[in-house]
Amino acid sequence: MNDPVALPDIDPIDRLTILAAALPGAAVRQRRIAAPFDAVWRVIADLEHATPRYEPDVAHVRVIEQRGELLRLLVQDTAGREETMDARLRPGWCLMQSATVVIAFAARRLGSETLLAHLEHRRAHTPLPRWSQPHDRRAALAKIDQELHTIERLATHHGR
Amino acid sequence: MDPENVAAAQQGDALALDRLLDELAPYVRRLCARIVPAAADDATQESLLAIFRGLPSLRAPEAIITWVRSVTVRTAIRLARQHDLEVAAEGTLLGRHASSLEGLVDIDDALARLPVSQRVVLVLRTREGLSEQEIATTLGIPAGTVKSRLHRARAAFREVWES
Repeated sequence: MNDPVALPDIDPIDRLTILAAALPGAAVRQRRIAAPFDAVWRVIADLEHATPRYEPDVAHVRVIEQRGELLRLLVQDTAGREETMDARLRPGWCLMQSATVVIAFAARRLGSETLLAHLEHRRAHTPLPRWSQPHDRRAALAKIDQELHTIERLATHHGR
Repeated sequence: MDPENVAAAQQGDALALDRLLDELAPYVRRLCARIVPAAADDATQESLLAIFRGLPSLRAPEAIITWVRSVTVRTAIRLARQHDLEVAAEGTLLGRHASSLEGLVDIDDALARLPVSQRVVLVLRTREGLSEQEIATTLGIPAGTVKSRLHRARAAFREVWES
């Protein structure tokens, strides 16, 4: 009696799609980035330095605790307000959550390029932090597009 | 399966959803690989989408596995029928069955050659170890129907296996 062997992990982009299905109203966009996976993921994984460069309302991010893939972050917005976030970070998958928002990134290798997907979701019944605005859906999607574009510049060194 | 984590996931806790996905995905994938081996990846993704979309409707977090099994099996059956129709439309179904008998190497191969309705009951009974009543609940059909399908499925399986 042989079990079906090789049960691979879910591809991170597919994983993001499943997560989005459970978060009604989540805004998701993806972009084919003209940079290798490792270069793109170097940007995403550098939470303290890279996040303020592509997320315009974030001033500072500090990792205050780390246990393997699990992190706790202290995020300060440009108005000086602080919020803690719990996160899970591993190659191809980054999920961050505070009391008010969920942010996720997923990446898939496409030869010498990378497919990068980005999710933002405002959690229900919570006050809206400045850096999660605007909450208009079209504007939210445009904001994500802009962030993906900026990440591409950072990953290809053009943003330096 | 931690009911507290399930409840948190139902409330939209993304990290709880992430953990739940880690726990459920191997089971969903295994069921799909057995019921619809030719389209296991698609069936797994569609099942997980249906499960996570429908998670808030689950009333009893402790019953999640029963519910996940039901959603997965029904999704896999739908994709298996769709796949068989496509193969039949291409006129390759008979040829595939005839030519692949020589290469029959294990039980999963033999199961894959049965009609979907028979394959499902046999997979759930012999490979997943479910009782006839549990299979009836999973498929939403009477226990008597499960019993007669199992009888036909065993006969069909023997025929394939011994040929």
